[in-house]
Amino acid sequence: MAKRRKRGRKKARRKVARRRSVWGWLFVFLAILMAGYIVWLDYQVRHQFAGKRWSLPARVYARPLELYAGLEVSSEQFLSELRALHYRPVITPQAPGQFSRNGNVFHLLSRPFDFWDGQEAGRDLLVTFSGNRIAKLSAGNSRQAVSLARLDPVLVGSFYPAHNEDRVLLQLDAVPVSLTDALIAIEDRGFYSHLGVAPQAILRALLVNIRAGGVVQGGSTLTQQLVKNFFLSSERSLVRKANEAIMALLVEWHYNKDEILEAYLNEVYLGQDGNRAIHGFGLASYFYFERPLTELSVEQYALLVGLVKGPSYYNPRRHPERARARRNLVLDVMAELELITPEEAARAKARKLGVSSFKRKAINTFPAFLDLVRRRLQRDYRDEDITSEGLRIFTTLDPQAQWQLEQVLEKRLKVLETGRKLKAGTLEAAAVVTSVQGGEVLALAGGRNPKFAGFNRALDAQRQVGSLLKPAVYLTALEQPQRYTLATLLDDSPVTYTARNGDQWEPRNYDKKNHGDVPLYQALAHSYNVSTARLGLELGIESIIKTLRRLGVKQHLNPYPSLVLGAAEMSPLQVTRMYQTFASGGFRTPLRAINAVLAADNAPLQRYPLSVHAAIEQAPNYLITTAMRYAVREGTGRGIYQTLPGSQDIAGKTGTTDDLRDSWFAGFTGDRLGVVWIGRDDNQSTGLTGSTGALRVWRDLFVHFANPVPIQAAVEDIEYRWIDPKTGFLADAGCPDAVQLPFSTGSAPVQHAPCVKADQGITGKPPAAGQGKRSSPGPVDWFKELFE
Amino acid sequence: MRLAVLVVLPVLAQCLLQGCSSTAPREQAPPVIDKGQPAPVQQSESTAAVTVPVQTRPYVPPPLPSQETPVVRSQPPAVVALLDHAEQQANAGELESAAASLERAIRIDPRNPVLWYHLATVRLSQGESVQAEQLAAKSNSLAAGNRTQQAKNWRLIAQARREQNNTGGAAAAEQRARELDPR
Repeated sequence: MAKRRKRGRKKARRKVARRRSVWGWLFVFLAILMAGYIVWLDYQVRHQFAGKRWSLPARVYARPLELYAGLEVSSEQFLSELRALHYRPVITPQAPGQFSRNGNVFHLLSRPFDFWDGQEAGRDLLVTFSGNRIAKLSAGNSRQAVSLARLDPVLVGSFYPAHNEDRVLLQLDAVPVSLTDALIAIEDRGFYSHLGVAPQAILRALLVNIRAGGVVQGGSTLTQQLVKNFFLSSERSLVRKANEAIMALLVEWHYNKDEILEAYLNEVYLGQDGNRAIHGFGLASYFYFERPLTELSVEQYALLVGLVKGPSYYNPRRHPERARARRNLVLDVMAELELITPEEAARAKARKLGVSSFKRKAINTFPAFLDLVRRRLQRDYRDEDITSEGLRIFTTLDPQAQWQLEQVLEKRLKVLETGRKLKAGTLEAAAVVTSVQGGEVLALAGGRNPKFAGFNRALDAQRQVGSLLKPAVYLTALEQPQRYTLATLLDDSPVTYTARNGDQWEPRNYDKKNHGDVPLYQALAHSYNVSTARLGLELGIESIIKTLRRLGVKQHLNPYPSLVLGAAEMSPLQVTRMYQTFASGGFRTPLRAINAVLAADNAPLQRYPLSVHAAIEQAPNYLITTAMRYAVREGTGRGIYQTLPGSQDIAGKTGTTDDLRDSWFAGFTGDRLGVVWIGRDDNQSTGLTGSTGALRVWRDLFVHFANPVPIQAAVEDIEYRWIDPKTGFLADAGCPDAVQLPFSTGSAPVQHAPCVKADQGITGKPPAAGQGKRSSPGPVDWFKELFE
Repeated sequence: MRLAVLVVLPVLAQCLLQGCSSTAPREQAPPVIDKGQPAPVQQSESTAAVTVPVQTRPYVPPPLPSQETPVVRSQPPAVVALLDHAEQQANAGELESAAASLERAIRIDPRNPVLWYHLATVRLSQGESVQAEQLAAKSNSLAAGNRTQQAKNWRLIAQARREQNNTGGAAAAEQRARELDPR
C-alpha cells in the first residue's frame, strides 16, 4: 500500500514538473516565434529601405526647345511651350520657372535640368522675337548675347506599373526647409528626439487638439506613419498597431532621421487622380500646383502639409474652404513655433489657395507617340524595368508639331466628312511627321482622336499604298541614265497582260484615258497607271523589289506585276521610312523616337544615335525628287499650292487605292517629311482620292512648317537642259512648252526638237541611247521574262 | 585615334569662328516661280528668239552654283557653341557626349557638311569605321562645290576603309582626296 502511495506521490510530482516544463517550453517556443517574427519584420523593414523602395514609372520627355538667334518659332508658339512647361507669368521673374512678357520680348528664368550630356544650368534670359523667329537671345542681367540655351523638356507621359502608383522622387537636400519644418511642426514635433514611438506625443497631441478646438495633430510619429504607409494595410486593429510600433522601432534602429524623413516625404499619400494614386510631396506639387516643389511659396507648403491628415477630406479642389482652414491652421502653428513671423503668416493666410484647375488629364498626353516609344524600349528593356526603374526617356517629339497635327486632323476630317456627306466619325486617319536629315519622329497620330490610346493606325494599320510605290519604279529606271531620263517618252497606250495561269491584268488610268507618249517625269507627276505598269514590267519586278529594299521597305512583297501600281500593304510608319530615304538625299536614315535613356539617378543607360546608310546615288535621287516636285507643281498633287506659297519647295506623291478605300499623301520639304493616310476601319470607300483627302491634311499641316530651305542641296553630276516635252528632245526659245529638266551628266539628249529653228542650232545628230522615245519590246516578250 | 578628334576639332572650330576661305556653298535660293517671265534659254540667242515670248512651265529648278566659287558660309553662333562644346567633350574623352552635342548641332543646322564630318570623326575615334564612312559620305552629299571639305571626307573614308581592311577601297578614296585637294 505504502509503496503504492509512494509511487503515486512520485507520479504526481512528475506530473507537476511535466506541466511546468510544458509551460516553459511553450514560453521558449513563443519567444522564438516572436523573435522569428521580429526578425521577419526586421527583414521586411531593411528590404524595403535598402532595396527598391518604390517602383518609379518611366518618365517620357519631349525634345527640349533649343533657343538661339534665328530659330524659327513664333512668340505664340514659344508661349505655348512655356505654358506646357508650367512657367508662370509674373511681373518680374525672380525664381526659376517664372517669366514676364513685354510685347516681343520675353524675360525668363529657366529651370536647371539634367540631360543626357550633363546638367543645363538655369539661366536668366531675354528672348526677343521678330516675325516668326527669335531675333536676339541675351542674358537678362548683362544683356550679352547668348549663343544657345536649352529649356527643360515638356513631360509628355509616364509608363506606370499595373497598380498605377506615381511619384516624383525627392532627395532630402532638394526639399525646401520650410516644408519639412511645417511637416514636423504639425505631424511630429518630437521627430528628432523620439525612438520611433512617442507616448508623450499622444498626450501632447491631445492637449494641442483641445486648445485648437479640433484635431490638429495625430498621435503617431512620422516613423509610424511611414511604416503604416509602407508595409501595412489600412485596417485598424490592435495587432496592426503593435506591428506598427515594433516596425517603427526597428526602422529607427536601422536608419537615421534624415533617411526616414526622406522616405516619408516620398511615400506619404496626398491625393488621387482617377486611378492614379498621388504619393509624395514631389508629385503632389505637380498635381496641385503644376510646378516643382522648389517653386512653391510658404502657404502652398502649408496646404500640402495640411493634406497629410486627409487628402480626400481636405481636397482643395473639392473642398476649398476646408483646405483653406486647414492651411491657415498650419500657418498659425508655424508662426507659433516661430518658423515664420506673424506678419508672414498673416500675408500667407490672405493669399488664394493657388491650386491649378482640375483637369483629369489623360495620363499620357500623346498616347500614339508613347506607344511607339514603348515598343522601341521593349526591344532593349523588360516591361517591369520600363514601369518601375524610374527611367528617364528623352524622345524626339516636337510638341508644337504634335499639337498642330492633332488640330489639323480634327478640323480637316470634319470638313471632309461634311463634303462627302459621310456620317460624322466615319473617317479615320493616321499621320507621321519626321525631320528630313535626322529621321526623328516629331509628331505621330494613330487616329483622328489624339487622346484615344487604342488602335494605333500609324503603326499597325496595314493598308494598300497604291501610287505611293510608283517613285520606286521610276527611281529604278532613273538609276540607268543611259536608258532612262526624266525626258524619256513612255508609252501610255492600253495594254493587257496574261499570266501563265490565264489571269488577265489590264491596268487603267484613273481618268480612264490614255495619254499616248508621255515624258517620264509627267507620267509620275500625273500618276499614270498604264505607262507605269509598262515601265515597271520592262524593268522587272525583282529589280523594283530590290529598289524598295534599298529604300528601307522591309516587309514581304508579292512579286506580281500589280506591285508596280502599289499592290502592297504598309503602315504609315513604313511608308515614312521609305520616303525618308528620298527626303534625306538618298540616305537610309532609321527613324528614331528616342534619343537617349537615363537611369533614375541620371546615369546614362543608352543612346539611340543618328545613323545613315547611303542607299541611292545622289544624281538619281535628285532626279526622282524633281519628278515628285513636278507631281505637286502640275501633277496630282498640285492642290498643295492652293494654300502653300509657290516659294515653298515641296516634293510629294499622292496615293489612291481601288474604290477610294485609302487616301494617301507623302511629301517633304527641305526640313520635314509628312505621311498622311485617311481611310475607314471597315475598309469601305472613303470617297476620297489622295489629292482630295490626305493631301489636304498635309497641306493644312505644312502651312505651319514653312521653311525656305530647298529639298536637296546642290548635287554634282547633274546638268540642266531645256526640253520639249512632246518629243523629249532639246528645246530652245522657239519651243512653246519647253521645260528645264535635270539630267545625270552626259545623259541629256543631243537631238533637237522640231520646234528648234533649223538655222539656230546643230541638227541632224542622231539621238544617243536612251533619248527620245524608246522602242520598247512587245509586252508579250517581257511578260515571258517575268513569268517563265 | 582619339588624337584625330583632338587635332581636327579645334582647327575646325577656329575656322568656323573666323570664317574659312572655302566652306560649303550657301544653300541655294528657293526655286524661282515666275509665271510668264521667260527664264534664259541656254541656246545661242538670236534676235528672233528673244522677241518670241516663251511660255515656260511654272516650275524652274534652281541653277547649280559654280563648282569653283567658294562661298563663305556664316555659321550660326549656336552651331559654333556646340562645336566648341563637342571639342571639349572629345578632349575629355567623352566621345559619346561629343557625338550627342554634334547631333544637337545637326538638329539646328542639318545641311552643314562640317557637322556631319565631325560626327564621322568621332565615330572613327570610337572604332565605328562603317558608320564613320557613311557619315563622311553624307557630308560629301551636302558639300557640293566645296572641294576642301570633300577632300577631308575622302581622307576620312580612306582611313575608315583601312580599318575595315579594305585596302583597295582606301587607295581609291585617297586618290579621290588627292584629285580634289592636292597637297
